Amino acid sequence: MFVDFFYLLKKVGIPVSPTSFLRLQKALNMGLVNSVDDFYTAARSILVKSERYFDLYDQVFAHRFQGVELKEPEAIEISEVARALLEEWLKNPRELADLLGIKEEDLSKLTPEELLQYFLDRLKEQTEAHHGGKKWIGTGGTSPVGHSGYHPGGMRVGGVSRNKSAVKVAMERRYRDYSQEGPLTESQMGEALKRLRNMVPHGPKDRVNIDETIYETMKNAGEIEIVFDQSLRDRLKVILAIDNGGWSMDPYIGLVQTLFNYARAQFKELKTFFFHNTIYDYLWEDPQRRSKPFPLDELPRLDPETRFIIIGDASMAPYELLSTDGSIYVGERSGKPSYMRLEFIAKTFPHSVWINPVPPVEWAYTRTILHIQEIFPMFELTLDGLEKAVSHIMRKN
Amino acid sequence: MSKEIQNRKFKGGSKYVLDEELAKIVNISIALEMPLLLKGEPGTGKTMLAHAIAEALQMRLIVLNVKSSMKLIDALYQYDTLTRLNDSRFGDSKRDVSNIEDYIKMGKIGQSFASDERVVLLIDEIDKADTDFQDDMLDVLDQMEFDIIEIDKTVKAQNRPVIVITSNAKKDLSDPFLGRCNFHHIAFPEPDMMRKIVEVHFSGIDKELLDSAVRTFYRLREIKGIEKKPATRELINWIRALRSDPDFRVKDLVKGEVPFLGILYKKSPDYAVAQNAVGRFRA
Repeated sequence: MFVDFFYLLKKVGIPVSPTSFLRLQKALNMGLVNSVDDFYTAARSILVKSERYFDLYDQVFAHRFQGVELKEPEAIEISEVARALLEEWLKNPRELADLLGIKEEDLSKLTPEELLQYFLDRLKEQTEAHHGGKKWIGTGGTSPVGHSGYHPGGMRVGGVSRNKSAVKVAMERRYRDYSQEGPLTESQMGEALKRLRNMVPHGPKDRVNIDETIYETMKNAGEIEIVFDQSLRDRLKVILAIDNGGWSMDPYIGLVQTLFNYARAQFKELKTFFFHNTIYDYLWEDPQRRSKPFPLDELPRLDPETRFIIIGDASMAPYELLSTDGSIYVGERSGKPSYMRLEFIAKTFPHSVWINPVPPVEWAYTRTILHIQEIFPMFELTLDGLEKAVSHIMRKN
Repeated sequence: MSKEIQNRKFKGGSKYVLDEELAKIVNISIALEMPLLLKGEPGTGKTMLAHAIAEALQMRLIVLNVKSSMKLIDALYQYDTLTRLNDSRFGDSKRDVSNIEDYIKMGKIGQSFASDERVVLLIDEIDKADTDFQDDMLDVLDQMEFDIIEIDKTVKAQNRPVIVITSNAKKDLSDPFLGRCNFHHIAFPEPDMMRKIVEVHFSGIDKELLDSAVRTFYRLREIKGIEKKPATRELINWIRALRSDPDFRVKDLVKGEVPFLGILYKKSPDYAVAQNAVGRFRA
């Protein structure tokens, strides 16, 4: 029964490795797990390596051990999953051979089909052995772990000493906030943006690394050997352009701005501009987009190494992007359509990205998004998207 | 590993309030001889846990504070070339200049391997170091040995230390790293748990003060737009301050006043935002 629990975890997208599954088996064999509660915690700490998957794990656990409805109830094709798993596994034949307890040479003699069967048999064997041998699951009692044994000072179990079963705990979905689908919070975004700060050591090698110098000099039998390092001072310039026009952007503007402001100390320079829907002849330094225009034609005077980050939903009427007089502001009539302006920005700043709060599944349905995607690499405004965007603009070329 | 040690189970320290779930995970990690990786917000007691384990199992605790500039070799051993040079010039020490081994100093991981007794090794804030450091370190911890190249000697662990690794990062560590650790994420304590934690630190604390302080604290944590939310450490310090102020009355908290806000919020933009929000408490 635990074999399909494992596959179910794999199936819903939790990256569980066969190695960790066998490790769980080892824990079971050692008699460490004596109740469903124990199994819940043990399996989670051994199999699941990120709190982002805890919520999913809770759902699968509740589903498997009490038949709570999963979001997507599907019959599991064990062998199919196992096959996919094996493929990945075969990249490292030694590890596989090790785990299955056969020699690497023997392994290569087996056909994939035989190997699959061998693997499944072995898992089945293990499960049965547990059922017959050590009783490690099923009794509703409390776990002996933490209740007996050696301890000098007496124990303090506080707070979450729970009288609820593991299944009930799992059903509470305590980790929902940490799951990947959860809302983006300040701390998460801050974390993603930290990448922007870390990757800035470059410039000439002009600092003496004293430790290395002494070490190398010693190795050189006293002949002075000076070692230089790169300076870490060189910092990044960032331009942030925010679409603060449409309602769809409202929930994000504050968030995005606060964060970039917090990160400000890490940048050499951070400029924030505003625009409505798309960019024409001007960007605006004031959020009202009235008093402080910044002509687009001045952008080339800035450092081309500046990272240009645009945050907007890229959703508008197509003429706003494509027409020569698309701007709703009468002052902007240079005769250049907005998409040419965007191309101009992308050319001026090779390190530029567009971050979009609209979920990617909807991108294909909006013409202007598709069009802008051709100009800027576009990322989703989520933790993952942000991380990808940051690594994109930090690329060397 | 002797039977006696194996039977030792971790059940909490005298200043640490242990969650039952976490106790199980710690025990499983000790039994499986795997490093335990702890993640969670600052102030959820990740570091404290290692101290508590060491105390409860009566083992020595060795702490490796990871720094961003750290190289793996620093954690293993150091070859003190400068002292050797000095000795070779002035020759007034008892060390034997021709014996390099006299100038090898063990780093924290090295110490934990060389120790005669089983120890608890805490590797604090692993996320500060770069990925190479992390992966290389796990290799060493996996094999439980490393080489000292200068003297061509291999240091083998006499006893496998109990290893606890903490990380503040929300970002995941590398896959090979995660594959070799057990994992737990410590959630921020619920108010009930928090009351117990406070009680452990201030035995016999006035019930009324405890309740209103904890209530106010969780209310403060709700304030939006804060970069660094106050955590357990701040709460403890704050209560200490409240208790030592002779002019403080518990009623003030109930009324919505929050004295010593600077203990809870340490960044000036956060402080400003919080002060603003506290103003609205009273209204």
